[in-house]
Amino acid sequence: MTATNDSDDLEALFDSIAGDFAPVAAKPAPAPVAVAKAPVTDDSDDLQALFDSVAAETQAAKAEAPGLVVEEPAGEEWPRQEAVFNRIGHMARLLHDTLGQLGYDKLLSQTVSALPDAKDRLAYVANLTEQAACRVLNATDIACPLVDDIENGARALGERWDKVFANQLGPQDFKALAVETRAFLNGQLPEKTKGTHAQLTEIMMAQDFQDLTGQVIKKIVSLAQDLETGLMSVLLEVLPDTKRTEEVNSLMNGPVVNAEGRTDVVVNQEQVDDLLDSLGF
Amino acid sequence: MAADPKMRFLVVDDFSTMRRIVRNLLKELGFTNVDEAEDGAIALQKLQGGGFEFVVTDWNMPNMDGLTLLQTIRATPTLKHLPVLMITAEAKKENIIAAAQAGASGYIVKPFTAGTLSEKLNKIFEKMGQA
Repeated sequence: MTATNDSDDLEALFDSIAGDFAPVAAKPAPAPVAVAKAPVTDDSDDLQALFDSVAAETQAAKAEAPGLVVEEPAGEEWPRQEAVFNRIGHMARLLHDTLGQLGYDKLLSQTVSALPDAKDRLAYVANLTEQAACRVLNATDIACPLVDDIENGARALGERWDKVFANQLGPQDFKALAVETRAFLNGQLPEKTKGTHAQLTEIMMAQDFQDLTGQVIKKIVSLAQDLETGLMSVLLEVLPDTKRTEEVNSLMNGPVVNAEGRTDVVVNQEQVDDLLDSLGF
Repeated sequence: MAADPKMRFLVVDDFSTMRRIVRNLLKELGFTNVDEAEDGAIALQKLQGGGFEFVVTDWNMPNMDGLTLLQTIRATPTLKHLPVLMITAEAKKENIIAAAQAGASGYIVKPFTAGTLSEKLNKIFEKMGQA
């Protein structure tokens, strides 16, 4: 579809979709939605009336719904699906009209064209953060053995110096120790601290993603806010109260982004431990 | 701590970064015998191959999530004795309760510290020693 950015084109597109669906609606669809009762033309007012009647029928049919489903003979699924498509078509039409009336159509068409862009941006963020994580882990893999070597070298020399102070070392050994200590201080130690320093710099530089991802994320957050504001006001106008469902209950929600005012989540390990303790685990 | 440094760990997480971090932390604590799996299904295959003594798993993963993995481990006679430590971003109380009821040996919420991991491991080793 190339017409997404232009409101007139959108208008035409919706009209053509609504037109496509109208003949289907004229067929006697078996149920549960008795769409065919309303006379259907391509006219928008009729569509509006049809939508109203469908909405009313659906409300009324809800009580009988289980029975209808049971009576539904197998193999007649296509007419039902057509009825669903039909309804979706009409809802799209209604949504489109409402959006137009409220002046949201321009905003939404901008948003829709911005969504693929947002996907690319998020992929970019995922990519950059993964690269950064790898760089940091690689740097620690290199730096840890260096630090370990320094620690072990220093400890070995220190133990031998302890012997010097305990008068347990002969002049020859003492001389060797002095030479080795000098070599350690002048050679190994600066070499390894330099190496460690380089990895610390690498870790620091790996954080440069934050600047880039920060900018990208800010853009996406603002896009999401626009989309949310627009869609929420439309939905609140269009959606019947009965369709407003509670929060989806699931055990896979990912990290809690904002725990403020929530009592159903824990915010730290202490609270996890307290909860488990209180339950006797 | 009576834990055997040769103890064989399986680290299950769909993000390689997190697997690497947990592997490194375990190494710091003296456990170098660590294998990895990127979801519950692969983990289960590896576990059924035998030889593992400790499972550290994420919750939210494709194919098989950590809770299902835990439940499957507890329902499998050859595996049910395995300690399972969950390290997850899931922080709802019902998650923690569900994990405990399913028989998790410990529960750590992300982000976590090396100290927390060490503490929880020791606690689990203590319990294992008593059993």
